[in-house]
Amino acid sequence: MQTPVPPALPPRAAPSTVPPPDANARRWPEEGYRRAPYWVYTDPQIYALEQKRIFRGRAWHYVGLEVEIPDPGSYKTTFIGDTPVVLARSEDGGLHVVVNRCAHRGNLICREPFGTASRLYCVYHAWSYTLSGDLSHAAFSQGLRGEGGLPADFDKSQHGLIKLRVDTLCGLVFASFSHDIEPLADWLGEVTPGIRRVLNRRLRVLGYDTQRIHANWKTYHENPRDSYHANILHTFYGTFGLSRQSQESAMTIDGSGRHVYFFTKAGTEKKSTDYDSTASQLRSHNDQMKLEDPSILRWSDEFGDGISVQILNTYPSFVLHQIANSLATRQLIPRGVGQCDLVWTYLGFADDDEATTRTRLNQTNLAGSAGLVSVEDAAVCEMMQRAFADGEEGASFIEMGGKTLESGGSSKLSERAIRNFWNVYRQDMGL
Amino acid sequence: MDIALHRTHFDTVSWLIAEWAHAIDDDRIERIAELMREDGRYTVRSRFNADRGLPLAIIDTHNAAQLRDRIRSMRVANIYQPQHYRHVVSAVQVTGQTETGLLEVRSSFAVFRTLVSTGDTMFFSGGRCDDRVDLSGPQPRFASRLMTFDSRAVETLMIIPI
Repeated sequence: MQTPVPPALPPRAAPSTVPPPDANARRWPEEGYRRAPYWVYTDPQIYALEQKRIFRGRAWHYVGLEVEIPDPGSYKTTFIGDTPVVLARSEDGGLHVVVNRCAHRGNLICREPFGTASRLYCVYHAWSYTLSGDLSHAAFSQGLRGEGGLPADFDKSQHGLIKLRVDTLCGLVFASFSHDIEPLADWLGEVTPGIRRVLNRRLRVLGYDTQRIHANWKTYHENPRDSYHANILHTFYGTFGLSRQSQESAMTIDGSGRHVYFFTKAGTEKKSTDYDSTASQLRSHNDQMKLEDPSILRWSDEFGDGISVQILNTYPSFVLHQIANSLATRQLIPRGVGQCDLVWTYLGFADDDEATTRTRLNQTNLAGSAGLVSVEDAAVCEMMQRAFADGEEGASFIEMGGKTLESGGSSKLSERAIRNFWNVYRQDMGL
Repeated sequence: MDIALHRTHFDTVSWLIAEWAHAIDDDRIERIAELMREDGRYTVRSRFNADRGLPLAIIDTHNAAQLRDRIRSMRVANIYQPQHYRHVVSAVQVTGQTETGLLEVRSSFAVFRTLVSTGDTMFFSGGRCDDRVDLSGPQPRFASRLMTFDSRAVETLMIIPI
């Protein structure tokens, strides 16, 4: 039988008829950190690079609370970027974070969100590890009746789980894939007092709320850095006559520009004609509108400094909030280029009395996935993502408060913290 | 379990549960506060928290006034992508009666959400509903509604009550 002759391939198009690739397609706008090109939110290759350079790179990532793993053998599973990790407490009380992936064939080891275990055990081939991630046993490693088994030169110490560096501050646990990163408190720098101010004693977890946002993680990361939008997008307080942009407030950015926190003091409004005229543009302002039952807004100045709201954001994936007496951490977990999970962990203190706990729980109505004050944030992230479309053209304009990393000072009407974010991001990403 | 109790009250509690669902799906959301006793409590929480004995709820209104406030905030203050719900309620069962005569009712729910701008209808939330129903007034009303949704995550946000 003769081999059939394959049909001739169609002639290739002459190179000159193929449009040349756009040389500017992935070039950051020349204005630098006061622009964010929309492709940075939509390009899967950028997303993959972020996983490597930021999430598995030189940064500290919030993974949980010490009280979530109170006893030897307690563990929690979570993610740093796309990478599944286990946070565990070993027999000696030490904290360990390891990649939740067997060193043998890559199977997931811990399957429960929380649990207790004496060892980390892979169900696939019974490889088991200590709580600190060292390989202690591989099933049939000597084979059976002289057959099979691992090579004679197999060295258990070389086949442990991937270990991350761990550091803590005020009961918060952070981990990093970088082993030469500075200690956590140094990395956080000038925002550290904002954490110490709120988390000043043993914590208690009141519960979790995960919001699945169908938008790139950076749309959310920018949001708590953006004090400009607070009283504009979030109209709950304004509509019910409860808040004004002119309240006493301030912002602190750490020396590296990575981290930021804002605070506002309630009851410090200054009458402002500018506010009044702006407010009337913002919404159909109705000064008569009142809550029927404002008791959910009743709060006590538990830290004794008059600060009613503090939002603290650390690069790239952590927020700590105090909204009246509602306290929570927020962990941002990217889920592909167009999706992220925002995990809220609501907190009280171990020594809270019942009435205080009730107040904190009631104020959960104000924040989170059904929060009356800030429910808009997730909606805006998703609307932005849809408006970016494929990201092939356009860029964010980020010049509120000025054009430099310093301009805007500590004003809330400024995008200084967002400019600082993009400055650090570009350095980490080499963009 | 008292089947006779279920038979006696099934129609009444089914009507009440359906009235709640239809009011929301028809965008007559203010109506649900009328189905709640003035001191009635409406709570939405995740199974994830419930299973772990954690008290957090994402919505917890302790009386009808707070529910009305939430609905008014949704109408006049909050900004979100225009959307509507479709409730599918099943397995309504009267499971008991409290000492004060309130009926204990369990049901299952699924809520589909349609985003007006894209037209997409997607499964939004599903779970169980534990109600206490007060039959002492001229119309049946909820003394409490405890909705426990199965998912650990809320898709985007929950601004319209379920």
